[in-house]
Amino acid sequence: MKEELTTIRQTSLKEIEAVTSESELYQVKSRYLGRSGTITQIVKNLKNIPAEERSTIGKEANDLKKDLTAAIDNALQNIKQSKKLEHIEKPSIDVTLPGRKQLLGNKHPITLVTDQITQVFTTLGFEIVEGPEIELDFFNFEALNIPKDHPARDMHDTFYVTEEVMLRTHTSPVQIRTMQKTKPPLKIICPGKVYRCDSDVSHTPMFHQIEGLMVDTNITFGDLKGLLTIFIHTIFDENTALRFRPSFFPFTEPSAEVDIQCVMCRGAGCRVCSGTGWIEILGCGLVNPKVFANAGYNPDEITGLAFGLGVERTAMLKYGVNDIRLFFENDYRFLSQF
Amino acid sequence: MLLSLNWLKDFITLELPVSELAHKLTMSGTEVDEIIEVGPEWDNVVTGEITDIAPHPNADKLRLTKVTTGEQTYSVVCGAPNIEVGQKIALACVGAELPGGLKIKKSKIRGELSEGMICSEIELEIGNDASGIMVLPPDTQIGLPIAQALQLNDTVLSLGVTPNRSDCFSVVGLAREISAVLDVPLQHSETTCTESGKSIDDVISVTIHDPDLCPRYTARFIDDITIAPSPLWMRRRLENSGIRSINNVVDITNYILLEWGQPLHAFDYRLIQDKAINVRRALHGETFVTLDDIERRPDTDVVMICDGKRAVALGGIMGGENSGISDTTTSVLLESAYFNPRSIGRSSNILKLKTESSERFKKGIDINGVIPALNRAASLVQQLAGGSIAEGIIDVYPSPLPSPDPIQISVEKTNKTIGISLSQNSIKDILGRLSITSEEIDADTIKAVPPTHRYDINAPIDLIEEVARINGYDAVPATNPYAKLTEIPVHTPFSLSNRLRDILTSCGLNEVVNYSFYAPDMIEALKLPESDDRAKPIHILNPLSASQSVMRTSIVPSLLANVRENIHNNCTNVKIFEISNTFLPNPEDKLPRETRRITGIITGLRFGELWNVEKQQADFYDVKGVVESLLHSLNITHYTCTCDSRELYLHPKNMLSLFIENTCIGCLGEVHPDVLEAFDIEQSAFVFDLDFELLSHYYVETPEYKPFSRQPAIYRDLALVVDDSVSSDTIYETIKKYKNKLLTEFHIFDSYQGKNIPAGKKSLAYRLKFQSDERTLTDNEVNKIHDKLLAFLGKEIGAELRN
Repeated sequence: MKEELTTIRQTSLKEIEAVTSESELYQVKSRYLGRSGTITQIVKNLKNIPAEERSTIGKEANDLKKDLTAAIDNALQNIKQSKKLEHIEKPSIDVTLPGRKQLLGNKHPITLVTDQITQVFTTLGFEIVEGPEIELDFFNFEALNIPKDHPARDMHDTFYVTEEVMLRTHTSPVQIRTMQKTKPPLKIICPGKVYRCDSDVSHTPMFHQIEGLMVDTNITFGDLKGLLTIFIHTIFDENTALRFRPSFFPFTEPSAEVDIQCVMCRGAGCRVCSGTGWIEILGCGLVNPKVFANAGYNPDEITGLAFGLGVERTAMLKYGVNDIRLFFENDYRFLSQF
Repeated sequence: MLLSLNWLKDFITLELPVSELAHKLTMSGTEVDEIIEVGPEWDNVVTGEITDIAPHPNADKLRLTKVTTGEQTYSVVCGAPNIEVGQKIALACVGAELPGGLKIKKSKIRGELSEGMICSEIELEIGNDASGIMVLPPDTQIGLPIAQALQLNDTVLSLGVTPNRSDCFSVVGLAREISAVLDVPLQHSETTCTESGKSIDDVISVTIHDPDLCPRYTARFIDDITIAPSPLWMRRRLENSGIRSINNVVDITNYILLEWGQPLHAFDYRLIQDKAINVRRALHGETFVTLDDIERRPDTDVVMICDGKRAVALGGIMGGENSGISDTTTSVLLESAYFNPRSIGRSSNILKLKTESSERFKKGIDINGVIPALNRAASLVQQLAGGSIAEGIIDVYPSPLPSPDPIQISVEKTNKTIGISLSQNSIKDILGRLSITSEEIDADTIKAVPPTHRYDINAPIDLIEEVARINGYDAVPATNPYAKLTEIPVHTPFSLSNRLRDILTSCGLNEVVNYSFYAPDMIEALKLPESDDRAKPIHILNPLSASQSVMRTSIVPSLLANVRENIHNNCTNVKIFEISNTFLPNPEDKLPRETRRITGIITGLRFGELWNVEKQQADFYDVKGVVESLLHSLNITHYTCTCDSRELYLHPKNMLSLFIENTCIGCLGEVHPDVLEAFDIEQSAFVFDLDFELLSHYYVETPEYKPFSRQPAIYRDLALVVDDSVSSDTIYETIKKYKNKLLTEFHIFDSYQGKNIPAGKKSLAYRLKFQSDERTLTDNEVNKIHDKLLAFLGKEIGAELRN
């Protein structure tokens, strides 16, 4: 019996040493230490061995079991280690090949800029409101203090559907519609498509506008300056200088046009700003009392500010796009850049 | 509006640099678009004297001259017939680049040296005389730049005058504005005319028949005049203001228009019949030939100026060719009138005729400026064209317009509106600078009366704006508005549109934005039935072109056009979408029905060209997958799909209509080959087109959480063989119908036809998931359910197990 154990010890250890893979190792393990393994069987049959030999054989069998287990563990570690080494050292892939790119689409730059702008105002508590793109004369002109045959209508080259119905020339009608159904105070921002019969490098017959309206008591022209300064600094950067210039819009009074320091030349003067160092970015003013009256508000009790800007123009400045028509050609070479 | 600073200086003393003036004008509301220097175009052209003339040895018509500029003598070859020794002339020296673009170089002309050119008026572009060289007065100093000698130097401001400031469309008006802005005095005096001879009443009688259209008509008569070119100074001022010089009398009417903003008209008196002017509405069907030789058809709201027999001018817009000034005119009737601004605006629109006159009348001129302008014009005619001004003036002004109403403003309100704190006196001072008279009513109240040239001021807010403007917007401190917090909805169509954009871009689609209008044949290409509202697009009355003449009733054609253009540019893999409104006829309302659509198209390779992915053409299942992902993201699960061939622009079989509760929310499928052909697209394309409002209605913003089982699940694969005609959907529904609560999930993982599958059959393989909420399942019970399910499928749809 004793000799048998010695032989088992020798062959098993040799076998373990010769093993090259994990699966082989497990086979060896099961041959000796498994449920019906050689050593397991010997231990099981100890009771059949004469009592005087039993303890010595038993001890030896247990020692063998322990040593074998240790040898197997050791061999396992070695195999794992060499496997890792092999994985690390084997010829590598060409990591300079391009990755398996996830094909994400892009939002249109008009959407991106619209989102940025509306976000500034929603953060300040403005509500986003939309309105119809085909409008009645009343909402697009009359209520905004632009009567028929008035020179101010010349500021808008209008597409007509009928004499009374037109493609809206600005998003201002949304202000009237909102005021008609909402009591003040009010803070709204109205993005959307607008239309004018005009087409060249800087004009397209359809473009996008964003207008804001804030109605409350005691809003001042200084507040308008403050609000729009926050806006410009958020959209461009906090070092962008801006100036308010008197202007004329029938629906606001006093009215202003806001110029920002040219984003291309930082005010030094360049082609983009026609050498002036300034770029017109938005129109604004305090709401004309006549507009409040037309919308059913009492002009003696409330005040308001309003502003509007062109999305394409802002996008052109932000991204350095030089031809507004690119926005509507939907060329992949353009779309894939945003 | 172009403003000559030389002209402006007749009325105001300017002591500040031009750039600063421009800045102050811009910052007070009159935007300076450009500062144009007049003069540099005559650089290197100097005054000189011809000291010698000799024949040209090689040319009969050319002569050799010597020209001295005092310091230097030049040899110049000259071909002009009118040269004489001792003449003072304009010499373009080497290096000069004349206004017409001619560059003067040292050259040999027929073998003789020429070091410059003696110029004619036309070569210098300061006159029309091309008959010979321009001869300067004998007392002209030589060696001076020509621009200095002839006082050609000027600075012109190109101004953007806002439409409310009708008063600023003239030199005097701008001088008035600048005097207010700079707070410097305005210098001008009224002209008096030296009258002689006839009385005007013997020459003409004027009747206004329609004073609503023409409230005031004034006129003067000047006899024995001579039509000639205007003097250089007047020509220069007109040209620098953008108006071409014609002759002295016509130029004077334009000069006064520019200087006073008062449009005038000059009639050749000999052509006025019956010594009468009648101002009346146009007659029904009346036609009239204006001086540009075009026949006009005024309607009955257009005001006509007529003599005793016929119309002679479109009042306030343009004169007639039958009565204008010509070279042979010897007596002139000058008209200075006031026409109703609205009426002129309307007439100008109807006649599609805009002139310097109509633009000014339409914005409104100063009714009290009619006579001063007429007097100034008459005296200029006398001065430049000779003749005598008849005694008296015609002034028909049946019902004088009331003078402007006083307006009261509160000092506190003014300050509160602007956000500044000016004293009552400061406000009164600012108003005074603008010729607005004001008086103090009490400590807070000012009563102000605007001048008649300020039509735009008629409410307190107009005065407040003037105070803000003149005091300067820069002087207003920027403050944070104080506004009450209000509830605002978070979920709006705008936010949902953005959510959809996020989903679709993460599906790999690029967003596009197309015009809302296109050509009628774009929609015709979709083969819509006549009964379909989309076949009846809304037409624009005045489109820029036929290709932009109808409002979109579907976005699909726009996307097909985008695909075509991109393929044309060698980009054949296109996945795009657009979220925009479409416009449908709406008989019940004045406004059309605007419905937002979510529309997309996929064509070309599914993954593009990648080195490690096999090239795969996108197909029906790509577009279906996008829509499924989109609906899934919106937590819309209870929809059904039917192939009902509803859209004729889609392949009749490879299409699906999507329904929720029997409402069709949109369609998807392969574009019909006919439609592809119409759009010149030679590769398959797959579209989806969904209704935004319905999606928005069924969209579940916040899905309810369903607890999931933590018990181990058992998976079984079930490969079925069914008849070809059994759709995947039928199998899916049948499995669902089996309803075993332990069968919690299943999905198809393979679809196969071919080897080992009998003809007319197909194999679909499903993975089934069995799971209990309470316990671990045993293989045995799962096997039982599995077998029963197979039997059920066999009975219901003839499915067999694939072996």
